[in-house]
Amino acid sequence: MERARILAVGTSHPPDRYSQQDILDRFRVANPHVRDLFGASHIDGRYLVLPEADEQGRPTETQAQLLAKHRRWSLRLGAEAIEACLAKAGLQAADIDYLCCVSSTGFMLPGLTAMYVKHLGFRVDCHRVDILGMGCNAGLNGLNPTVSWAQANPGRNALMVCCEVNSALYVYDDTVNTGVVNSLFGDGCAAVLVRAHELDEPSFAPRVLGFQSHLIPEAWDAMMYIWDESQGKFSFQLARDVPYVLGLNADIPVRALLGRHGLKVRDIGHWLVHSGGKKVIDAIKYTVGITAHDVRHTTGVLRDMGNLGSGSFLFSFQRLLDERVVRRGDYAVMMTMGPGSTVETALLRW
Amino acid sequence: MPLDPSRLSTLAYREDGDIATVRLLRSSINMRLVHELTAVCDHLEDHSSTRVVVFRGDQGRFCEGIDFADFRPDEPMDIHGFNKWEKLCRRVERLEKVTIGILEGAVVGGGVQLALVLDARILHPQATLQLNEVHLGFLPGMATYRLAKMIGMGHARRLVMRCPVVGAEEAVRLGLVDEARGDLDAALAETVAAFGPTHVVAVTLARRLLDESFEFGFEDALGHFLAAQHRAISQTAFLQTLRKEGGR
Repeated sequence: MERARILAVGTSHPPDRYSQQDILDRFRVANPHVRDLFGASHIDGRYLVLPEADEQGRPTETQAQLLAKHRRWSLRLGAEAIEACLAKAGLQAADIDYLCCVSSTGFMLPGLTAMYVKHLGFRVDCHRVDILGMGCNAGLNGLNPTVSWAQANPGRNALMVCCEVNSALYVYDDTVNTGVVNSLFGDGCAAVLVRAHELDEPSFAPRVLGFQSHLIPEAWDAMMYIWDESQGKFSFQLARDVPYVLGLNADIPVRALLGRHGLKVRDIGHWLVHSGGKKVIDAIKYTVGITAHDVRHTTGVLRDMGNLGSGSFLFSFQRLLDERVVRRGDYAVMMTMGPGSTVETALLRW
Repeated sequence: MPLDPSRLSTLAYREDGDIATVRLLRSSINMRLVHELTAVCDHLEDHSSTRVVVFRGDQGRFCEGIDFADFRPDEPMDIHGFNKWEKLCRRVERLEKVTIGILEGAVVGGGVQLALVLDARILHPQATLQLNEVHLGFLPGMATYRLAKMIGMGHARRLVMRCPVVGAEEAVRLGLVDEARGDLDAALAETVAAFGPTHVVAVTLARRLLDESFEFGFEDALGHFLAAQHRAISQTAFLQTLRKEGGR
């Protein structure tokens, strides 16, 4: 069987970038604990779509406005990332036979795929799947069926789009919990083209060799959306110790995935880990036994853009390609962590 | 595949219970020895349940440095072999085992470089240490990096740039070795015992944090420590300690 390859990647983000200080100033954040969180986030700036503040410095958006913002910016960011990805592959939207969209930042029905077909030139007979509400890990949960479809349909084009407008989740109540969320997430979209075709053999694109999942049921409520009745909004809750719990478990799918292919951690040249936050990245480094250099793109994306949700690891993938250090035969592990709680992994080879 | 020691020609390898012993049979380092030491690292990481690795030499010596027979002066120079050597040293430095060196005779160049990546060094009182590379017109590998961290910049400059032969007494004084003792086997047994029950995860996480202490600022290092500590306290070794020490 011809293995599917990731032939191209494209990314996008909103135009306006804010430093952590910009946000503290804009919304007049006074709680010293929340201010400390912003200071210790290891994030220099994030691309966001922020509302104006009212007289008290509070953001003014209702839940309805947040949902509308998610729809509007999903279309714009999706269009840009898809165009960038398809341009690299020399394709048009009409060439795409399978479209998988991943998002967790706003409920939509119909979903992103229907909106993209309507507005972005995809064919009406394009196969579609929307993966909604699986969180930061969902990029690999989406890549898995995309790769399977591509392998079952050799020569045909599959596109996965991870689109997160995290600023459509903004809840402001001056508590540490919303402070954690509001200091961490940024907006961004990434698209990848996947195809299994023997004619792609000469192209310098990694084959996807396999996936390994690991769910941690005892931490199922460590990250979740709850309806905050007092705010009239969905609010994302993040348990304190979950970064370390995820890190401690990250070893399990990595060993299983590598073991199945007769590989060891030392055989892996490149690590494309979700930019979840400083703590979870540290925990993975000291559990899997990889270095700050191995996760340089993960920490770089976190520093420059914050946690971009499901597409974060594809921004790291883009940066790795831009470095031009990968050689034919190199292996890479993709790793995403998120609600469930879960660690998802994939093995790539150039 | 587990290592077949009978196929080694530059090394002897054996395991006795918790302890693996690697003997360097050549007086100098050639590429064959580098490849075989790399294979030994594969075995130690993948197939060996030992907790301690002893690196020592043969016939009253440890290692007298690089073997120039591998070089061809009439051809362009190639850095590849040096890169292989540094990768090997890094792997030894990060093995999930306690590593101990028994240093005898004139320990020179690459022999000193290898000794510097180990967790403990025991020196014979008649043995000497010398980084002679700069006198020969090349560099002592990443000893330039490790030595400054270990004994301080002033001493490191003198040892690297002037290439003195350092005797046992000075080596102990500088902290270049842990002790100088005639009865090497007794010293080795005591050193192994001093590492205690060897909780491999705790030992190797501690070593990594120490290694990185010059690399990162305090805030980063604190984050690393917390991540490492969370892993350490989630291991059975610490849970057993809690049971023994009366944790509920």
